[in-house]
Amino acid sequence: MSSFHEIRLHGRGGQGTVSAAALLALTAFEDGFESQAFPKFGSERRGAPVEAYVRISRSVIRAHNQLYRPDAVVIQDTGLLRSEPLLRGLKPGGLIVLNATEKPADMGHSFRWISLPASQIGERHIGRPLPNTVLLGALAAGTGWVSLRALERAITDHLSSKGETVVNANIEAVREGYLFTSNEEELVL
Amino acid sequence: MKQLLEGSQAVAEAVRLCRPQVVAAYPITPQTHIIERLAQHVANGELAAEFINAESEFGAASIVLGAVASGARSFTATASQGLLLMTEVLYNIAGLRLPVVMICANRAVGAPINIFSDHQDSMSVRDAGWIQLYVDSNQMAVDMLIQAYRIAEVCELPVMVCMDGFLLTHTFEPVVLPSQAEVDGYLPAFQFARTLDPTQPMTIGGASEADNYQEYRIAQHHAMENSLAVIEALDAEFEQQFGRTSGGLLQGYCLDGAQIVLLGMGSLMGAVCDAVDNLRTQGEAVGALSLRCFRPFPAQALIQYLSGAQRIIVLEKAISIGGGGIVAAELRAALYQAGITTPLESVIGGLGGRDLTPEVIETIFKKRVEAETEMTNHFAPNHIITDEIDSGGKAHG
Repeated sequence: MSSFHEIRLHGRGGQGTVSAAALLALTAFEDGFESQAFPKFGSERRGAPVEAYVRISRSVIRAHNQLYRPDAVVIQDTGLLRSEPLLRGLKPGGLIVLNATEKPADMGHSFRWISLPASQIGERHIGRPLPNTVLLGALAAGTGWVSLRALERAITDHLSSKGETVVNANIEAVREGYLFTSNEEELVL
Repeated sequence: MKQLLEGSQAVAEAVRLCRPQVVAAYPITPQTHIIERLAQHVANGELAAEFINAESEFGAASIVLGAVASGARSFTATASQGLLLMTEVLYNIAGLRLPVVMICANRAVGAPINIFSDHQDSMSVRDAGWIQLYVDSNQMAVDMLIQAYRIAEVCELPVMVCMDGFLLTHTFEPVVLPSQAEVDGYLPAFQFARTLDPTQPMTIGGASEADNYQEYRIAQHHAMENSLAVIEALDAEFEQQFGRTSGGLLQGYCLDGAQIVLLGMGSLMGAVCDAVDNLRTQGEAVGALSLRCFRPFPAQALIQYLSGAQRIIVLEKAISIGGGGIVAAELRAALYQAGITTPLESVIGGLGGRDLTPEVIETIFKKRVEAETEMTNHFAPNHIITDEIDSGGKAHG
């Protein structure tokens, strides 16, 4: 497996897109990789489209430029598919992790898709329809780039200031996202 | 311990470890996270400092001027229009020879209004009398900030650590934070011989007329020139204690056998080093030189590094409107004075957040190397996504 991965996350302000990117980078770091996370730079507003990026590598990451050729794209809100070019630059065979009950009918052919109802899963565990940690669980299961154990540790560390209840709810959410994806049939379409 | 931290948080921890007694600032993107974190440290009792939320950047700079003159180690941070609003005070801090340390979270200057990163803000105050140190990474921001207090207090000169807004301040990456004991071992408690003291009253900042004003300015210039050796020595001392160097005045990459050298400042150097690696695998004799210290301008050190080069390409993220590349102009003057006539290409790019990718840098390199004559004041091409990318090909602007 290649040891350099670039991931782009799409969401709306308030869905924890930038936090998810930070969590994923922390997870990879926990797993012993070098990693880097950064938001699409701009003024944040609740509900507005948000992007964040993650690099994971075996060697030191020196570059601070943006990424254009992601290996995976995480989409927290299918509504964005109508207005944003979410799959731009995605490598052939790249993975799309989508917060939806099913794959959209007319989307790309050369990609792998994982669709899961992450908002509902998030709401069940966290009490709010937050899809971000559920989708990270799915990404971990669908790629093997980071471990579930490291993801749980990163959540424990990163969210510790929000209290044990929030940490545990997010760990349950991330586990369900992971298990949901692990139990799916082969996803290549 | 190595941790994954946001750049703003990492430098805020470094500031805390330097034990400033006064922090004064006015919020401006992309500096805000640094100051918010320090405000939290003060509120939580983790930093024994007076935190002053100023009414403007002019106020923030004036507060740290007074605080340092009164014997308190101080910190401020700003960017862009905020730095420009400080300008009058920056000259006064430098003229009074006060060891103030600040971070400039480098951002473009309006109009048009733009919150993204380039070096126009700090380059615009290059003549104010502040030492200016540009960092490539968040680790270097942490290390340079700690060194900045030593440099400032040894030289009695203010130091501006220039850290690219967003590209560094908002990026999470691995950083080694030293312990309090380690920083205390490198940075002694604040000492300033000219501290204002009510029991021994004196005036600072009095008037000076034509009979001695010029001598003050010359003395300030000499102090800046003398700081070159201090910056190098304190980086060497830092390396001895912490096992990491910030390069002092400048740092080379793949310069062995390099006929062509790409020179730049700040976070773009990561992409430059990646481009150098790619070009080396294509057989190009290319290297890179990261200029850390722009003020004072390290002419001698630059000449040492560049005397063997056959071509120099300066890539910079600021422009003197009507003049052109600023670093290029100063480097060209330094080389001319040393009798070196190596062709020097001036390329301006990355303005207002325009991305400088390794692909763009390789394109610049190839275009400039193919050119027959030395050209000045080129502009970097844009990074354009093409369908080629999807098939794994190279992108060209």
